[in-house]
Amino acid sequence: MKNKIKVFRAMRDLTQEALANELKVTRQTILAIEKGKYDPSLELAFKIARFFGVPIEEIFIYE
Amino acid sequence: MKQNTFYLLVGVVGLVEVGLFALSVWLRNPLIITAGFIMGAGLLYVTRLMITDVREDERSRLITQQAGLRTLEVFWIIFFAVSLGIAVIGFSTPLGIPRPRDLPRDFPRDQPYLGYFGILQMILLCCIAFLYIVFRVYYARKYGEWDTDEE
Repeated sequence: MKNKIKVFRAMRDLTQEALANELKVTRQTILAIEKGKYDPSLELAFKIARFFGVPIEEIFIYE
Repeated sequence: MKQNTFYLLVGVVGLVEVGLFALSVWLRNPLIITAGFIMGAGLLYVTRLMITDVREDERSRLITQQAGLRTLEVFWIIFFAVSLGIAVIGFSTPLGIPRPRDLPRDFPRDQPYLGYFGILQMILLCCIAFLYIVFRVYYARKYGEWDTDEE
């Protein structure tokens, strides 16, 4: 599964640490998701989408 | 509590357990180390919940779960195989498990094989710990635990 978290993060000028703090996860988790090493749970994926204010499918692309 | 303080406590508890084990052997009372170990493990479990400077999330829980599951999957095969081997010794002797021929004079003669079995189990438990560490490292690498990235 691909994702555009890095793009959305850059648009908001957010660091991985800041995003991680907002989502109550570790910075390593954000890094692992961005690199495609870890697919987040549905709950976390929805939290990320809600945080950026976009539909989930705009951030996560299932291949 | 900080994580380093917890690790320090683990070391102290470990030393106390070694002392209790020595005392148990000296007094020939297995209950001392058995009760002591359970209390030590309980203490560490409670204090681990008090660690404040480490955040646990779904990815770190997944790493722990996967490592634990794989350890169990591999370990039960090893444990079962060793147990089968031991059972063969028992079943192939008509009058039960044979005693070793030359025991020391002061060796407790009631259940000497329980002691040997305990040592064997401890060796197997060391295998569990080693297996868990190997799987933990594998899954931590797989899920990007030590990755670094530019911001």
